[in-house]
Amino acid sequence: MGRVTPGGLDDQVLAFPETKPPKQWYFALAITLSAMFIGLVCIGYTFVTGIGAWGNNSPVFWAFDIINFVFWVGIGHAGTLISAILFLFRKRWRNAIARFAEAMTIFAVICAVIFPLIHVGRPWVAFWLFPYPNQRALWTNFRSPLLWDVFAVNTYFSVSLMFWYLGLIPDIASMRDRTTSKVRKVIYTALALGWRGAATHWQHYEKAYLLLAGLATGLVLSVHSVVSFDFATSVVPGWHMTIFPPYFVAGAIFAGFAMVVMVLVVVRETMQLKNLITDRHLDVMNKVILAMSCIMGYSYMMEGFTAWYSMNEYLHHGFMNIITGTYGWAGWLTISCNILIPQILWFKKARTSYFWMILVAIGVTIGMWFERFVIIVISLHQDFLPSAWRIYKPTMVDFGILLGTFGIFFTLVLIFARVLPVIATTEVKAILPDAQPSHHGDDHHV
Amino acid sequence: MSETMPASERSYAVLGIFDTPDALMQAIPKVRASMLGAVEAYTPYPIHGIDDALGLRKSPLGGMVLVMGILGALTAFGFQYWISAVDYPIITGGKGAGSWEAFIPIMFEVTVLFATFTAGLGMLFLLNKLPFFGHPVLSSKAMSSITRDRYALALEAEDESFDSGAALRALQAAGALEVEVLPAPDRSPFLTSDFILRVLGGIFAACVVSGLAMYFATKWFPLLKPMVYMQDQPRLNAQKPSGFFKDRHGMQRPVAGTVARGHLPTATGTQDAAAALVNPLPRTKEIFAVGRKAYANRCEVCHGALGNGAGSLTAAYGGKPANLQAQQFRDYPDGKIYWAIVNGKNAMPSQAADLTDAQRWAVVHYVRALQRAQNAKDEDLKVATP
Repeated sequence: MGRVTPGGLDDQVLAFPETKPPKQWYFALAITLSAMFIGLVCIGYTFVTGIGAWGNNSPVFWAFDIINFVFWVGIGHAGTLISAILFLFRKRWRNAIARFAEAMTIFAVICAVIFPLIHVGRPWVAFWLFPYPNQRALWTNFRSPLLWDVFAVNTYFSVSLMFWYLGLIPDIASMRDRTTSKVRKVIYTALALGWRGAATHWQHYEKAYLLLAGLATGLVLSVHSVVSFDFATSVVPGWHMTIFPPYFVAGAIFAGFAMVVMVLVVVRETMQLKNLITDRHLDVMNKVILAMSCIMGYSYMMEGFTAWYSMNEYLHHGFMNIITGTYGWAGWLTISCNILIPQILWFKKARTSYFWMILVAIGVTIGMWFERFVIIVISLHQDFLPSAWRIYKPTMVDFGILLGTFGIFFTLVLIFARVLPVIATTEVKAILPDAQPSHHGDDHHV
Repeated sequence: MSETMPASERSYAVLGIFDTPDALMQAIPKVRASMLGAVEAYTPYPIHGIDDALGLRKSPLGGMVLVMGILGALTAFGFQYWISAVDYPIITGGKGAGSWEAFIPIMFEVTVLFATFTAGLGMLFLLNKLPFFGHPVLSSKAMSSITRDRYALALEAEDESFDSGAALRALQAAGALEVEVLPAPDRSPFLTSDFILRVLGGIFAACVVSGLAMYFATKWFPLLKPMVYMQDQPRLNAQKPSGFFKDRHGMQRPVAGTVARGHLPTATGTQDAAAALVNPLPRTKEIFAVGRKAYANRCEVCHGALGNGAGSLTAAYGGKPANLQAQQFRDYPDGKIYWAIVNGKNAMPSQAADLTDAQRWAVVHYVRALQRAQNAKDEDLKVATP
């Protein structure tokens, strides 16, 4: 593997969408499309028969759909963290992985919004969620955290899309100038908006990118905080806690990084990007996972501490349910997957070994899904009124829709990997050795 | 349009290509010093320090974003306050209609939204004037290497006196590896009739397409299943047939023997058996008022205002209602009068459907009062006199 040069980078990354996909790609796409199809059938079945097709009952009105919503929104957070916060901190190693992580953010939010939309039961009138003047003379309730969610998720999606597209414009301009196919030329020309790399443009562009990074940083912290308000502002024991916003944000970054590691390992192997996505990247990302795991451990302990120290019998009962109740297995699965397994990453060997990092990433993905299961189902199935207690059991339709969103997510990832540059070539070019004038200070180099 | 020189011979700019950022940065002061035209650089990625070298002014984007962000916050606050406190005030969670604390999350989100769109779209459309597909540099031979790994410096013509030969030499002297003269874009009249026709055709097509789309979205799509499931409910409609019952009627009679609330029958046996019933109501002014009203509504037309059987209907139809002042009826126990009200007697129909149980017993009290009033004795006067 030779030194990376700007031209070589283009030949490696930008030429990729013009090559013919290998057989394995079609094979993977067939699997993800099948999963997506199963999900769509289950969603169609739900529309025709109603929400009764799911396992939701009274008092567990919020079940798989909200678990999956929180899970997918969380997955997206790694992308925004990498593209925004690490940009502000000038962690330039992020440039190589930012594009893919941002794309995953957008795909994850698409998967996430499916769930509230189908949970309302009549998604064709989902526009009622927005405050618009109407004949019924009704307005939305601005004191409801669910409405805050509508604004937060929509803003998050718009900002992520804007950030992603701005980053893509110079890369698409490069693809426009190198492609020989007429159809591609037309598409890339339209998408690049006539970008020509003028110094005056770069000046505004860099400013816009910096501003967007600053704004998106606030968003990373706010979106999952607002999602946690859905729970924290209620009175349900196990939800009504001040630790929820930071705890949710940390969990989201945790789950998101695990997903990014999982996907990037596959991408760097199959697309021969080892010289760009290096062992150091994986090492650093695994360190982030380890740090987040420790924050999660602290949060879990604080939950137990609050239950004990508050001397609130309902909170105490709720916490005991997590470790000894009917769903105690889910509680322990969460704790082992999120807290115990990632501790292996203290060892450098594990942080650079595919086996261990994939094991941890899969464990964290499962663990974080079950964490939301624990928070939502365990808290709801036994609250203040013992006569209303009920056991929740998901149905096959529930699982089908969850599988379907995984199908949608990976289908989009696969298509993205084939049609757009998976590495932000422009950003990587700018930090290559000798990319900047030598009289300039070297604080911008990696 | 210049009359003296054909467009193809005029040049827009001269482009010099460099292969390292250092070469570019060293060339910029030299080319600027030549004063032959405006200097612009084209690079594959942002070069640090090039803004100062080219003498560019600071980007105004930060101020624009700040203003629009503040506007977003104010918009969100005003909108939420107007809705929650003025147009549609609803008390939620015991908070006052105008309590603003709950507006903060949405204010934050809208601030970010406004600021982001200002930063992104303002940069692209306002400051960089994109999309612009007709720029001469885009059709230059050097473009594909500029977006790859080459750095270009352009000396742009500012007026008619631009000397492309001198510019070419200046760039070469500054170290350009290759130079390229960019011809000025062909400035044929913009609004040709062909162009106007095309635009009008496009607008017409857009109207037709969006009209059809709106028709299907509002008239056709919402009437499909399952969108109509809210109307399409398995329920019985009054006055409509229903396949649920054997007689195919939507409305069904009550089951035989059904008793309405408050109408539990008390006098179902014979009149003699009812003699044992005792009037449960006390003899108070209010009860007598109820009895008097019920008697006036239901009894008086036949039995008369005095209970003597001389009601107004008697004259019209010649029937013979009972004279309640007769000794026979004055000797009746309360229960037998009550029985007659409930079940009817001879030509008299049952009053059970029209008088509640309490009203019937009140009527009994009132009839007793009528009888006593018409057959008053001396001692009654004594009782009445205090």
